[in-house]
Amino acid sequence: MTSSVLKYEASVSKPLVEEVMSRSGQNLQSCYQCRRCAAGCPVGEETGVTPDRLIRMVLVGDKEAALNNYLVWKCVACYTCGTRCPNNIQTARITETLKQMSKEAHLKPLAPRIADFHNAFMTSTRHLGRFNELETVAIYETKTMLKELAKVNLKAMFDEMMNQAKLGAAMTKKKRMHFDLDRVKNLSEIKALYKKSKGR
Amino acid sequence: MREDEYRPMEIAYYPGCSLHASSELYDIQCKLVFNKLGLELKEIEDWNCCGATGASKTNEFLSIALPARNLGLADATGLPEIVIPCSSCYSRTLVSQKRLSSDATLKEAINAELGHKIKGQIKVSSILEVLRPKVDSGEIAGKVIKKLTGLKPACYYGCLLTRFPIDIDVPDNVENPQGMELVCNAIGAEPIDWSYKTDCCGASASVNDAEQSQLLMSRIFKDATARGANCLVTTCPLCQMNVDAYQDEVGEKYGIDKRMPVYFITELIGLSMGIDPVAMQVDRHFVDAMGLLKELNLI
Repeated sequence: MTSSVLKYEASVSKPLVEEVMSRSGQNLQSCYQCRRCAAGCPVGEETGVTPDRLIRMVLVGDKEAALNNYLVWKCVACYTCGTRCPNNIQTARITETLKQMSKEAHLKPLAPRIADFHNAFMTSTRHLGRFNELETVAIYETKTMLKELAKVNLKAMFDEMMNQAKLGAAMTKKKRMHFDLDRVKNLSEIKALYKKSKGR
Repeated sequence: MREDEYRPMEIAYYPGCSLHASSELYDIQCKLVFNKLGLELKEIEDWNCCGATGASKTNEFLSIALPARNLGLADATGLPEIVIPCSSCYSRTLVSQKRLSSDATLKEAINAELGHKIKGQIKVSSILEVLRPKVDSGEIAGKVIKKLTGLKPACYYGCLLTRFPIDIDVPDNVENPQGMELVCNAIGAEPIDWSYKTDCCGASASVNDAEQSQLLMSRIFKDATARGANCLVTTCPLCQMNVDAYQDEVGEKYGIDKRMPVYFITELIGLSMGIDPVAMQVDRHFVDAMGLLKELNLI
């Protein structure tokens, strides 16, 4: 965290708290830091930030830390935190809000692969109306590879290719790979919903 | 129509994208098994992707609007209930329905774009919610022709069958669900008790955050092994794919020797009722799923 409760400024924290509360629909102010969420968080150990800490960042107005930490990116949306919270705060809704805010603020994702995957998923779904495993992986891998190529990280490129090739080979062998294009007929409705989602 | 003429009950059905692709076997099994139970699955016309976690992480409006279109199509069938076997699709659809029941403005905005408007009256059910009354009534046990004796599944629920991002009445115990165990008991299997039944497998993190998801999966395998399970059973195609396809890699990395087949609940029910395992594509699992059944003289 870059700022702490010692530097607390109500005028700084208030707009952030209000925005996150209204967008996520969660009452962050009812958090009394019991940390039941932290105990159940499957990624807390690796992210170094647990749901209770994230709520605290927002409450003390530390926007930079709140929008830019590993929990926001690595949260697997398992909803354990919210299910166990005695005050019914769904922190997974808060990580979703903060991730969207981080995107709107054009912050570079801390976990670019996760960001690229979700974007690839949404691109493929807009294109066909249904999630296409091959198309999503193709878009995702292209982005990942180009980024590793820019960094001249050939080892990472090789590892990624090997992993996908291994899974692809196993899937083909077990006849789990499908090459037909399953798509929605009335795609104009899907496109209209995507269009409407912009600027909301 | 004569009174004694057999007529299956119709139930609306949303397979979701996985069941039309890598988990097609689950789609086939659902149809076969529900048919045995006197239910005809009516796939809703022209359904779309529910948006899954991708939409909820990136676009609040679409995370509600995409499942809403399917709900409109489902409402249009006039049927009272829709079954959604995939946990993620089930969760997102239920969340959308619940959210729109209390947000008239959003409902109106979404309905404006839809040919089939969402009314919100259809009951959205997971596969276990449909199976449970048939366990309680003894119907499932009554149709068993081969008890699955010796099969000791660790029932793996994953996240989204019992945990929701909004208030939803869960028809099972949230921390220690029993629905799948009840089905297993009814077909003569011997489900084990274990601690990781509702833990997360990492879902799409298996592709975009492999280390994290493999760590999560290693805990699941370790506990299932330590508790004496000889297989895993699940209702979620994403959980199934992860703990099946990555089991070898995770096992090697974390020093777990035992490999366990990962069955869908439908193939176990189907086997107990005499449905041909090959017709159910039981041979298409990553960890061999036929060997254990042969070993136990179940096929």
